[in-house]
Amino acid sequence: MAAALLEQLVNGLMTGSIYVLIALGMVLIYGVMHVLNFAHGVLFMVGGYVCHFFYTRLTGSYTAALLLSMATLALIGAGIERSIFRPLQGNLRNQVIASLGLILVIENLVVAIWGPNALQMKTPATEHLISLGELRFPLQHLMIIVVTSVVVAALFAFLKWSKLGTALRATSQDRNAAMVVGIPVERVDVASFALGTALAALGGALVGPLFLVFPQMGDAPMVKGLAGILLGGMGSVPGAVIGGLIIGVAESVSTLFLPTDYRDSIAFAIMVLILLARPRGLFGVRMRGEA
Amino acid sequence: MMKTLFASAAALALALTCAAPAHAQDKVTVGIVTALSGPLAAPGTFQMNGFRLAEEEINREGFTVGGKKYTVQLKVYDTRCNAAEGSSAMQRLATVDKVPVVLGELCSPVASAEGPIAQDYSVPLIITVASAPDLTEQGNKYLFRVNAHNEQLNVALADFVGKQGWSPLAFIAWNNDAGRGGVNGMKKLLPPSIKTGYLGYFNVGEVDFSAHVSNLRAQNPRAVMLLMDEEPGSLAIKQIRDAGLKTQLVGTLAMGSDRFLKRLDAQRLEGMVQYNAFPPNANVPSIQAFSELYRKKYGEEAHGFAAQSYDGLKLAVAAMQKAGTVTDGKKLRDALAGIDYNGVIGHIKFDSKGQAQPPVYVTQWCADGKRRILYPEKLKADCGAG
Amino acid sequence: MRRAGLLMLLVAALYSIPLVSAPYVLHILVLCCLYAIPAVGLNLMLGYTGLVSLGHIAFAGIGAYTAAYLMVDLKLGYWSALALAVAASGVAGAVIGAICLRFRSHFFMIVTLAFGLMLYSVMNNWDEVTRGAAGFPGIPRPAGFGPLESFYRLALGGALVAFAVQWLVVRSSFGRILVALRQDERLAEAKGVNAALCKTAVFALGSALAGLGGVLLVSFLRVAAPASFNLAESINAVLIVIIGGAGSLAGPILGALLFVGLPELLRVAAEWRLVVFGAILVLITLFAPNGIADLIARGWNRLGR
Repeated sequence: MAAALLEQLVNGLMTGSIYVLIALGMVLIYGVMHVLNFAHGVLFMVGGYVCHFFYTRLTGSYTAALLLSMATLALIGAGIERSIFRPLQGNLRNQVIASLGLILVIENLVVAIWGPNALQMKTPATEHLISLGELRFPLQHLMIIVVTSVVVAALFAFLKWSKLGTALRATSQDRNAAMVVGIPVERVDVASFALGTALAALGGALVGPLFLVFPQMGDAPMVKGLAGILLGGMGSVPGAVIGGLIIGVAESVSTLFLPTDYRDSIAFAIMVLILLARPRGLFGVRMRGEA
Repeated sequence: MMKTLFASAAALALALTCAAPAHAQDKVTVGIVTALSGPLAAPGTFQMNGFRLAEEEINREGFTVGGKKYTVQLKVYDTRCNAAEGSSAMQRLATVDKVPVVLGELCSPVASAEGPIAQDYSVPLIITVASAPDLTEQGNKYLFRVNAHNEQLNVALADFVGKQGWSPLAFIAWNNDAGRGGVNGMKKLLPPSIKTGYLGYFNVGEVDFSAHVSNLRAQNPRAVMLLMDEEPGSLAIKQIRDAGLKTQLVGTLAMGSDRFLKRLDAQRLEGMVQYNAFPPNANVPSIQAFSELYRKKYGEEAHGFAAQSYDGLKLAVAAMQKAGTVTDGKKLRDALAGIDYNGVIGHIKFDSKGQAQPPVYVTQWCADGKRRILYPEKLKADCGAG
Repeated sequence: MRRAGLLMLLVAALYSIPLVSAPYVLHILVLCCLYAIPAVGLNLMLGYTGLVSLGHIAFAGIGAYTAAYLMVDLKLGYWSALALAVAASGVAGAVIGAICLRFRSHFFMIVTLAFGLMLYSVMNNWDEVTRGAAGFPGIPRPAGFGPLESFYRLALGGALVAFAVQWLVVRSSFGRILVALRQDERLAEAKGVNAALCKTAVFALGSALAGLGGVLLVSFLRVAAPASFNLAESINAVLIVIIGGAGSLAGPILGALLFVGLPELLRVAAEWRLVVFGAILVLITLFAPNGIADLIARGWNRLGR
């Protein structure tokens, strides 16, 4: 039983890491612009497709393809922010609607271009297996956990010590005050969107080789990422990390003793229960001006 | 508000003018409903391939009904596995396109929505893939099914598993009508000596089986049945074998072709057993002929869904010839009810509920990447003829 | 008086549509009516009270499956089953709503989404009662409303009832309270409004209307499928309300006409139709942010000038 639990824990950390990457992207965008970007899941998916494209067509290097994919999606994110979300500044409801419309456009464009079938991205890391005792995991599994940890640490450092990162934090705490002290909030908006989208692309590119690249691959992770953010507290970056990991681990561990067809429900039920106890999430802070 | 209401009423009135399309003189338009987009587009494509292949063949010479020569034309609607879309498509086919017969459908609940409309307008609906058993239990005289349903598909396999004594039997299944239907079907048919083990459900589109694999390792069932299509199936098997598990694999008809082998390799597949509606290399002339045909047009091994659909369309044409009409749905239905047709999947004759009893096989993968037929006894064959 | 007369004329015209139009058009109009009914419920919640629920259609599912079970398994009559099913959705709405309403804005949205997903899981997995993923076939249409033309009248009747309820609520003091709650909840509470009670009441009412739509939908399709009540459908409902014009009386039907009618018109373009559709949505949010009702009203005004 202990071995099974341990194994599920590692599984949960892996799936949780993917949710964390999505959650981080969404929380950055939410924190700065107060927009819940539902299109984040399809951007995750496009990250996977773009990485596949670069990997199979242009460069044989997985790392290069991954970085190129992040860069491309950052540009796309900036473009979306400029053309769709900036004009809708202040109208939260329509921002949500626009992001839902974006999902339709992007997901079906991908289908129109690449077809509905899944693509395979065979990288060397997926073939290697790592043994921990009697357990065996593909190297890519562990790579995902490691890369996500590194990215999270880098993000913390960036937010705390870099100029742009501090600007991001300032704008998310109090937009008006940030403007008063001379922070160019419009540029911070673009930066946060680009950064968030790049994180989503990283997630898609990491997951692609392990499983498959297909049009619906971002739908479920987006909803789980959303649950993770809520659990962690809407504007909180550490909250997004903890929340995403909790959802991932809860999902995997629950299959040990609960019917697996209710696996999604378990994660959400846990989220609702924790929220009932702590309505702002685990690390949520009361924002100025909120009830 | 009144202004808005009026403006909208005006717009509505304008939209109500709807023209009916014209018929071509010597072309018979036949309706096709299937899923061509969304997560189930892959199996939907196999279905379409079968229809296209039949269409091509039929139109090479055309067919004669009542002294006149016709070709067949397919009007295809994408129902996306959604009941409301299915009903709209069926309604359109029956009353706008005015087709004499409709074929196809991938998803059982959508077929349940299309069936009653078939009955309302006397347009026979011939199912070629959807496999929920209760589709043919609704007393609908206009609904026919060419393919075997979940219980028929699983009977031979359950018998085989029972004889092998593979207990406990675990499952990893899609959490949709196909997967859950398969699990329920098997559970009903397995002999009491076989216990049901771990039940691992997952959503269509999910391809991370790590949690399920870990549970398989912990519970150690004798065999595991995978109820899903090729794509997730190949990933599941890869993840199971990569984790070092040597559990006996049991699969569905999606896992019995070379295309599936290409996604994996022979070592991981060796010994896997699956039910099959269409073993492409079986020593049956009609099967061999169809496999050739399919390979020539599509460059890959045939899929059971394509064979079933191919038979469906050709059967519909045969029924038109038997009934002597290309427009009268009632006569067509009567012709279908009594028809005796030899298709590539076997002998097709509908029972009083509109269900055919095509042969179902059990095949097994050999070490060299070829397959052998284990059941039925008389077709038992060695590696290479599966 | 004139308004009432014109309204009666409109209703009479709508009822006589079967006399002049093709069955396919009727079929689409029935679907429009049946999608509009839950949209009315959501309009009361979202448009007037500002509650963005992403799990609304799950309550349509509760109504649908309750009615299916009562009619087919317990052999109850159609109308009693319908009444009980609507009541069941309403009660479920009250209970689940009370939990969801403990949260605000984005939290509320995601918690309603979570409940929608959990309810969907039950519909999909509880094979014994709901027949699970294969769908629940054999759901009857009520006696006398079997044929398409007659069912259209039933669907239209249901839609008119929903709109009547909406109208009554909006012009009542309860309706004004709802708007007040959306605009400034603290101020409303300061003036003595019991916010929690009122919001729960509108959640329950909205859910009951969704249930009505659900029952009529599955008796139209003659099958109840879990996929008809999933997250995508709930998101569609939100889009219908917003595009049609949230907080406007005609919004739900305009949105339903667009959402059901446009994809059918675009049927020819296959997968590109969804791309076009999504693009239209984005364009509408950018250029017609208050929805079609507003667009039409503004256009009408300009014509009148």
